[in-house]
Amino acid sequence: MNPEDMISKMSGHTSRFRRIANVVALLAGLTEAAFVSLLWATEPGLPPRTKLAFAAFIVIGLAWAAYGAWALTRRTPMFALDRVIAAWIAVGAIGLLTVTTILVTTLRHRVEPALFITVALLSTLALINLGKARARRSALVRRKRELGG
Amino acid sequence: MADDELLIVRCQLGERDAFARLIRAWHTPVWIYVRRMLGPDKADDVSQEVWLAVLRGLPRLRQPGRFTPWLFTIARRAVTNHLREEYARPEVAFDHEPAEQDASDVVADRAELEAGLAGLPPREREILILFHLEDLPLQTCAEICGIPAGTAKSRLSRARRMLREEITKGGYLR
Repeated sequence: MNPEDMISKMSGHTSRFRRIANVVALLAGLTEAAFVSLLWATEPGLPPRTKLAFAAFIVIGLAWAAYGAWALTRRTPMFALDRVIAAWIAVGAIGLLTVTTILVTTLRHRVEPALFITVALLSTLALINLGKARARRSALVRRKRELGG
Repeated sequence: MADDELLIVRCQLGERDAFARLIRAWHTPVWIYVRRMLGPDKADDVSQEVWLAVLRGLPRLRQPGRFTPWLFTIARRAVTNHLREEYARPEVAFDHEPAEQDASDVVADRAELEAGLAGLPPREREILILFHLEDLPLQTCAEICGIPAGTAKSRLSRARRMLREEITKGGYLR
């Protein structure tokens, strides 16, 4: 096998599109599961069939999240720029969840402290993650310039 | 060295053309090491395993300047997985192994070295490959094999002696 054959075999693993697709699968699955859980938690007296449907949606969301997490940890490496993009997507997804939480609880005139604490915690983690990803990328860009790249 | 480091930093940033350059630069040394250790049948598959592990590990490589020992440590791990039984055998004691002064005294050329390598146990084979075929410094070889530099030196001396015997036995010696 020559180097060009190996480059071709590795091309799937070096594809940014595939890495970002896995991030989207993870975050979309988590957001969907969290959103349905939010509806379930704030809606009293749901009929059994609706509860079953909600449970199915949560399982589907978690399955996508598990697939994304597995692919990201076992199959696709995340490089500095991927991490920054992934961190922004996470901030967006959690921002959407935060807005939805505020809307749902406001419309129903019910304050859910546990939900607000969870969303606030997730938002903080997403912002810390974004800060770390940006700092790591900046450090690498600086090093690249120092080395004449 | 700085060129390698720049290439690794570019890979860590996620620049796709840097991956291609990295593989172009290092595929052949990795492939030669794997082929010498495991034979031609497994060389392609195991080299692919090595590159997958390298790509997965690259984002976590904290010292891009130390890429060479890191790369060969990964390659060695892949080889060890395929030679688990042979590596499990205890190493022969070599307390009084005389130090060789010059490899050229023992190994006339690369062709002889390559001919005799197949008959050596994996530990001796790998140190000879790393030192003579990959031209890595002894300290780097020691690091890759996970042993102190002194042990690497003794192992290298013993490996040269064993190779000499192997070459003589096999009639490769001119």
